[in-house]
Amino acid sequence: MATYIARRLLLLPLVAFGVTLLIFALLQFLTPAERAALFVTDPRQLSSIPAIIRKYGLDQPIHVQYWVWLKQLLHGDLGWSQTARMPTSQALATFFPATLELTFYMFIPIIIIGVWLGTRAAVHKDQIVDHFSRIFAISLRGLPSFVWGLIVLMVFYGGLNWFPPGRLSLEADLFVKSPEFHRFTRIMTVDALLNGQPWIFVDALRHIAGPAMTLVLVEMALLVRVTRSSMLEVLRQDYVRTARAKGLAEPVVINRHARKNALIPVVTLSSLLFVGLLGGVVLAETIFNYPGIGKWGAEAAVQLDIPGVTGFGMFIALITVFGNLAADILYATIDPRIRLQ
Amino acid sequence: MSFKRRLLMLLVFTLAVALTGVNGVAQGQAVKNPDTLIIQSFGDPESLDPSWAYDTASSGTFLWNVYETLIFFVGGRTDLYEPMLATEVPSVANGGISADGKTYTFKIRPGVKFHDGNVMTPEDVRYSLMRFMLVDRDGGPSWILLAAILGFDTQSTRDDNGKLLPDIWDRVNQAIQVKGNTVVITLKDPYAPFLNIMASWSMVVSKKFVVKNGGWDGAKTMVAKYNNPEKPDAQELFDKDAGTGPFKLDSWDRGTGNITLSRFTDYWRAPAKLSRIVIQKVEEFGPRRLALQNGDADIIDVSRADQPAVTGISGVRIVDDLAQLTNSPALFMNLNISAEGNPDVGSGKLDGNGVPPNFFSDIHVRRAFAYLFDRQAFIDQALRGKGRLANGPIPYGMLGYNPRGKWYEVSKDKAVAEFKEAWGGQVWNNGFKFSVLYNSGNVARQTGSQMLKETTESLNPKFKIDTRGVTWSSYLGLMNQKKLPMFFVGWAADYADPDNFTVPFMHSTGTYPGRQSYKNPEADRLIEQAGKETDAKKREALYFRVQEIAYQDVPTIYIVYPTAFVAMRAWVKGWYHNPIFFQTWNYAYRLSKGQ
Repeated sequence: MATYIARRLLLLPLVAFGVTLLIFALLQFLTPAERAALFVTDPRQLSSIPAIIRKYGLDQPIHVQYWVWLKQLLHGDLGWSQTARMPTSQALATFFPATLELTFYMFIPIIIIGVWLGTRAAVHKDQIVDHFSRIFAISLRGLPSFVWGLIVLMVFYGGLNWFPPGRLSLEADLFVKSPEFHRFTRIMTVDALLNGQPWIFVDALRHIAGPAMTLVLVEMALLVRVTRSSMLEVLRQDYVRTARAKGLAEPVVINRHARKNALIPVVTLSSLLFVGLLGGVVLAETIFNYPGIGKWGAEAAVQLDIPGVTGFGMFIALITVFGNLAADILYATIDPRIRLQ
Repeated sequence: MSFKRRLLMLLVFTLAVALTGVNGVAQGQAVKNPDTLIIQSFGDPESLDPSWAYDTASSGTFLWNVYETLIFFVGGRTDLYEPMLATEVPSVANGGISADGKTYTFKIRPGVKFHDGNVMTPEDVRYSLMRFMLVDRDGGPSWILLAAILGFDTQSTRDDNGKLLPDIWDRVNQAIQVKGNTVVITLKDPYAPFLNIMASWSMVVSKKFVVKNGGWDGAKTMVAKYNNPEKPDAQELFDKDAGTGPFKLDSWDRGTGNITLSRFTDYWRAPAKLSRIVIQKVEEFGPRRLALQNGDADIIDVSRADQPAVTGISGVRIVDDLAQLTNSPALFMNLNISAEGNPDVGSGKLDGNGVPPNFFSDIHVRRAFAYLFDRQAFIDQALRGKGRLANGPIPYGMLGYNPRGKWYEVSKDKAVAEFKEAWGGQVWNNGFKFSVLYNSGNVARQTGSQMLKETTESLNPKFKIDTRGVTWSSYLGLMNQKKLPMFFVGWAADYADPDNFTVPFMHSTGTYPGRQSYKNPEADRLIEQAGKETDAKKREALYFRVQEIAYQDVPTIYIVYPTAFVAMRAWVKGWYHNPIFFQTWNYAYRLSKGQ
């Protein structure tokens, strides 16, 4: 196991190298003038485009530009992200905790409700629960997430004023910025508790609720469907029949014998989902004005913020490698038949 | 945002208002956050250093709330000034302007405190102006003072190869001098817009504060080190404040993009009524609109297209038809298109499948399009009817705007006649194909492109126009490479003077003619002459002639002088508008909240 993990980790720099090279290569399809335009926000600055190209070496051959970037990287400098108004490394450190927090609060309900509903649907195949979950899943996934986002925003902010957009309310934000408040983790709910400020904790949760609810609605549907079909498959297996024949109670059969085996595809899906969510949930973050990494990444891409996009890409590659690694380890834990060489 | 998405959002919001009857905090209810003004804007500043910032968001934030200028505009006027950090507006009558129009003397107000506690001196003023000019980052605002003070030829502190001009410090140092309690500025040539420029661009910073934080100390030898900084955060005022204004910077949270300003209690006038201003960055219109409805925001950014969604919310006040110093959008034609690897000119020949690079160099082609484009229909469809038909580069209401200036009427017959004459009849017989471009997401410009396509193609089955949206940064890049055959873009004033419209639209070295390959020596001469002319009547006559040339040569189809509107809670008091304000909430000193 240890060697397996080590080997996967050794792959990491290679993956990161590949990703950054790919991004660099893709950016070469744009002319230097187009890339320089990142620094030009208004036509009145057009005349400085040649000077900007010269200043940032945008007309240099790709390997020269890549080498310059790589040298910076070795000094721990990922470059200046024009869209974040800060160095790229600082941008990652600023935006990622917010997304991590959001992901955490949506992932748990997605898994719990998704697996539970999927199991119920499989056990009660073709009964009301099953039909309900199917309609539920199809209609939820059928609408794009920004539509759900807008509806949730409208009902829960516009109508009820429970779940406002943003990260914190005005009073909480002012308090968090005051010297009385210490930022230990940059994860707001955790910091709030560490500072002994439960009202900040509640305030942060209220702001997470909107985007979390939107994504739980959309992402859960898939999990319900996968759990259901996997459960159905397992329930037909001989050993389940054996378990029932032995006279085991039905909940034991379902929960202990069947579900554990049915979870393998669910784990794969969940780890992909988790990584996907960590990579940023652009639409939900944008609609709810939640300052996460996805919102920034998308903005950086649209505005051709090269250091921003490259740093973001590298970071996502990193997360993906770690996510897959975690999934592999989880497999082995759930299913002893899968042993890593 | 795509057009469909925008439409859908509008629909959803209209439905929400209609169905739920959720109409916001009704009037008469308690004012939320009574001493804090909350603004939700779609963008955040690039930098808070006055010598770097050249974007709408930053000037909206710090002008004139954090930094102040020597003189200021009276009320809603853009041509009348009142003293601010100077105690008097210089004029020939009070001896502040020399008879030759070259020397300006500003008496500096005593006893003004900076936010860092230091008292402002004439040296601070001199230093601030010099620093503004000598920082001169690529794409920055320094050229405005450089050209105004050192002359039209000096738009930069560097030569074409990017090398610092060796005598630049001496020239600036010579031009700006402290004499007793005054600062004397000597211009190379008389320059009519100078006072107007000072009202917007003479922001005074605390020299002691800048130096203490590692900034330029004013020495000649150190100019090279601070000139053209590579990144905005290399500058000491990037996220700090060294101003005198009624508000000081509390924080700029770049994670959320939110800026918090608080009342400066040692202000040289009566302190501001508001104790705090919070400017929040909210990119999407949806949450902004709901925040306004719920009273969580007092003023929000709304585009003209989204106006219906903020109309009719109780407790929300909309003030419309606000004058703006903009000429946008106009439709530009490129007289010498760079055709290399350019998909927008088709075959590159006049064979029905493309256009040659110099297609628009034929005046008949340009006039044909001027007759063809129905500008009033565009204003009605794309701008909700808000705006006045344009007739040239200078906006309505500004000196030099000619109310009787001629422009092309809509006429398909005349357009056809012009097309038949163009390129010796080849245009009409062979047809053409090219693209009209706009920056994607700009629904108004997209609509304009579509309208032009439809009317043009209806004239002759051989006429083909593609419409293409390009992201803003690519758009500017392509524009600079002269690759766009025909494109929509606009201009907003750096300073309220016709000079700032005629140069970018009509002078061959200006922003647009340079990219359209348009040059008319007479226009160049008139514009330069008008800049130096201090007699208003004579200036006006020169600009009237420039308008005639703009009409005759028609390198650009002027469409509209648009108006703005503001959506705010009715409990915001003391609000007023000046066309120079980049954002409708620009100046918060007199604002307050109450029933």
